[in-house]
Amino acid sequence: MSTTGTTGKRGAARVAAGALAALLLLSGCSSKAKDDGDGEKGDAAAGEVKTGQGISGRTIALGALTDMTGVYATLGKSVTQAQQLYVKQLNADGGVCGHKVELTVRDHGYDPQKALSGYTELAPKVLGFSQFIGSPFVAAAKPRIDGQDKALVLPQGWSSELLGSPYIRVIGSTYDIETINAVDFLMKEKGIGKGDRIGHVYFEGDYGESALLGSKHIARQAGLTVVEQKIKPTDNDMTAQVAALKKAGVKAVVISAGPRQAASLVGVAAAGGFDVPVIGNNSAFAPQLLATQAGPALMKNYYVASPSLPIGADTPAAEKLVADYRKAYPKATLDNGVVAGWTAASAFGEALKKACKSKDLTREGVGKALLTIDALDTGFGVAQDFTDPEASSSKESVILQPDKSVTGGMKVVQEAAASTAAEAYTPTAP
Amino acid sequence: MSEAPVSEAPVSRAPLSEAPVRPPRLAPRTRTYLWAGGGLLLLVLPFYLDRFWLQAGLFAMAAAIGAIGINLLTGSTGQLSMGHAFFLAIGAYGYCVFAAEGGDGLTGLGLPTWLAAVLAVLLSGLAGGLFSPIAGRLRGAYLGIATLALIFIGQHVLFNARDLTGGFNGRDVPPLSLFGLTFDDRELLVANVPFGSAEKLWYAGLVLLLGCGLFARGVLRGRPGRAMNAIRDHRIAAGVIGVPVARYRAAVFVLSSMYAGLAGVLLALVFQRTVPDYFGITLSLEYLAMIVIGGLGSVSGAVIGAVFVSVLPQLLTRYSDALPLVSAPGTGGVAPGEASRYLYGAAVVAVVLFLPGGLVRVAAGRRFRTDPGEKR
Amino acid sequence: MSTFAELLLNGISMGSVYALIALGFVVIFRATEVVNFAHASLLLAGGYVTATLHEDIGFWPALLVGIAGAAVVGAAVDLLVMRRYRGSDHSVLAIVTIGVDILLTTELTRRIGTDVLALGDPWGDAVLTLGPISLAHTRIAAFVAAGLLITVFLLAFRYTSWGVAMRAAAESAETAALMGVRLGRVSLGAWAVAGGLAAVAALFLTVFPTPGLERATSLAALKAFPAAILGGLDSTTGALVGGLLVGVTESLATGYQSELTFLGRGLGDLAPYLVMTVILLIRPAGLFGTKELARV
Repeated sequence: MSTTGTTGKRGAARVAAGALAALLLLSGCSSKAKDDGDGEKGDAAAGEVKTGQGISGRTIALGALTDMTGVYATLGKSVTQAQQLYVKQLNADGGVCGHKVELTVRDHGYDPQKALSGYTELAPKVLGFSQFIGSPFVAAAKPRIDGQDKALVLPQGWSSELLGSPYIRVIGSTYDIETINAVDFLMKEKGIGKGDRIGHVYFEGDYGESALLGSKHIARQAGLTVVEQKIKPTDNDMTAQVAALKKAGVKAVVISAGPRQAASLVGVAAAGGFDVPVIGNNSAFAPQLLATQAGPALMKNYYVASPSLPIGADTPAAEKLVADYRKAYPKATLDNGVVAGWTAASAFGEALKKACKSKDLTREGVGKALLTIDALDTGFGVAQDFTDPEASSSKESVILQPDKSVTGGMKVVQEAAASTAAEAYTPTAP
Repeated sequence: MSEAPVSEAPVSRAPLSEAPVRPPRLAPRTRTYLWAGGGLLLLVLPFYLDRFWLQAGLFAMAAAIGAIGINLLTGSTGQLSMGHAFFLAIGAYGYCVFAAEGGDGLTGLGLPTWLAAVLAVLLSGLAGGLFSPIAGRLRGAYLGIATLALIFIGQHVLFNARDLTGGFNGRDVPPLSLFGLTFDDRELLVANVPFGSAEKLWYAGLVLLLGCGLFARGVLRGRPGRAMNAIRDHRIAAGVIGVPVARYRAAVFVLSSMYAGLAGVLLALVFQRTVPDYFGITLSLEYLAMIVIGGLGSVSGAVIGAVFVSVLPQLLTRYSDALPLVSAPGTGGVAPGEASRYLYGAAVVAVVLFLPGGLVRVAAGRRFRTDPGEKR
Repeated sequence: MSTFAELLLNGISMGSVYALIALGFVVIFRATEVVNFAHASLLLAGGYVTATLHEDIGFWPALLVGIAGAAVVGAAVDLLVMRRYRGSDHSVLAIVTIGVDILLTTELTRRIGTDVLALGDPWGDAVLTLGPISLAHTRIAAFVAAGLLITVFLLAFRYTSWGVAMRAAAESAETAALMGVRLGRVSLGAWAVAGGLAAVAALFLTVFPTPGLERATSLAALKAFPAAILGGLDSTTGALVGGLLVGVTESLATGYQSELTFLGRGLGDLAPYLVMTVILLIRPAGLFGTKELARV
């Protein structure tokens, strides 16, 4: 690849001039030129409701930093569509304080650079974020969220390390608590007891390693031994893991990985006559799996701990959501991401409504309003309590079992409850 | 960024056999004006652009530094490396370890931040040196795949060596401070414009990029550059005329690692937190795409390619609403993230097909020659 | 002991699938001296065609169409892209294949979306049990299929005119061309064959122990890189040995991760690359690769 450097300098001049013009144009339409005045607009309230950053005219801008083309595409798509549906319905009902809500979505594809860019772009424009996927990225933006921006962020990631900020509010139980509840279920219903070994197959990263904290915690308390198997999101074949767990003589397995890994694990275990109960976290199941070969094995031996009732629950709110969602997105899969997205959007919506009532729609006002919500029930069986920034909004989990015949592919085997171990548990840094 | 059009180095990439064709020179005065204009423009940008654009620019600058490094290796010496992300990670995390105070429970030596930055770059070079038994002996594609190992090793260490790296959640990056000026988010009013970290780092980035560009140009135009091209164009002949092939390969590998390390330090400063997911294989591939799109073997090519690859996705995402064919996320159709992947995949293929020599050729006027089709 | 045997057998059967992918690299490398980084997308293409067709036309026809489809995609890449660059630097060509890979993978993952596609294979989740050891039928099928295909190729290289032409082209493209070997056909054939092999590999990567074809399936090709390199990029035997070595290393490193915790957990992905690095330190051209004789 060696071409001679015949540089055309006149061409260079042309191009340089063009580049200059383009850059000037860019700076022309930049928003920083406002540095002489209108930067702080809106602080003096229009009418009686105090507004601030993120509200211009009659529009409240919310941001959603999601992943629709990367590793969490399945979750991101459902969450985003549910939130768009919520916003649409909210606006149809008249919005908040006469303001329309507008959701700006940025897909970062689980790329840290794009995630941070998305945050930087949206942070000055929006009132808050109804979604932020990828807890490492939330952690990366945390100094800015807590320091300058002070906007409410509802991450779609349930790592206990995200707790403790007044602005970053995790919705539902964190993975460690969910795992404690899952192991508790194994002990109560599946005859696991003191001295037994349980396997824990978990993803490298925030999700799996948070969950591991939970399983280790309850194992310590209940006298169990955890046999760890760490995997990567690219591992799709769990044969070697099952062989290792079998050798270790585990009586049950917890899996904190993706749906595919869960399907493989359950399938391999069942096929090899290794007949132990397997329980996964909320993210370790997708209804798409029931159509694959792993389907029958999943329906027999697999359970899922979830922060709320499944999308197919028989509450009126759930049935309405299913109907509306199907109408809006006829081709989309109904999974628990829809519930998660809907719940988060509802929490933000309720906070907005409360803030409206107290006539303070600033970022601070909305943050305070959320702190007063102590029992938000979106119709999925779990009440969310946002009064304590140090804790997740609920410690309850629902235990589900895959079932092909139900909408969303899951039925309830144990209603929402927090185990005593989970109630007493306080998250610690790993 | 705007040094690109004028910094073309005609001598550096001439094949051994042919004398370089001297381009008609631009009147020196016009050249100076262009440089001054471009430089001035870059200097005033922080006063006008908002943080999003400055951050995009900083990502591009960091990418440009890294791309110059890999261009020395792949473009000028013909050694394929897919492990560039590993050295970026060493730079980024090395800086954190050297500079952090250790308050967050992670290892930190608490050195002055400028020293930490220098040491991080040296550490990347050292890591490159440790790889030299392989880097010096392997060539082309073999080296490419061998360096893939570095990515996997790097990811494994980043996730597992918690005390050093903070594990999956990464670790905070201490802000750089130099001559009493700290590059953090505390606002500093300059001519009534509030200067946060992005504005301040912008200037640091410019200085670093300029320095790196000039140094690489010096290397390429001098004796080492000719030796490197000789190795690329005809390894055996290069050996015959007395170029110590293995030593040169290893040395260029070290130099390229140091460039990557510096890019890593700058990226860490912009991110304000290092995240292990970032330093994966995709990042390495992006760097290769940059130099092919921009132009192999030239400093300005690397810069142009870096700007193209790192700014394009952000443009597409930001203006996705206004673009035809690209649909908003969640509506089905081609999402902005996918659109930018199509574009840059196509750019890699098309540039080599229609613009041998990369975008820098277009920038430098259309007078490129087709490739003579030489052998290794 | 039975765990060891189970892990070993599992590793060997997985390794034979990696060997198929690695063989694809080797075939292209021998014919054109280009390292094909677009192999992952050929794999995905083959799997995708099989997965979308099997319900309508049955598994075996769908598999054949899948193999043919991936072969056509491979040939198209050669015709539309690679052919135009012939004569360019091989490193540049390798980067071009990265561009091709990005294009194809983006398109295929967009089509697959968030689905997990079953391939409708006849083996299901049946398992062969030999005493304490159990082995999935799919794995036995993978091993047999890979063994057959690799034998066929070893023979074809030796005895068919295509094989001879390819070896001649690999030896010296110019000489071969002068001797009347049509380099275009050789490389077209190589790309098509690599595509077909990738489609077969895709089948075995997405059946039983794994739930089905999805967007990340193509990442398995990353494991075939060390396989191809440590065996020697220009050696078919090397691809076989390299594939097996990678499969066994990966399986053992995963199965014994509790005993290897001092290296950090989750070694499975890393272990093949470590083995490759060690081998390259000792033999820079891989285990069976042709050493370059030019020394100065």
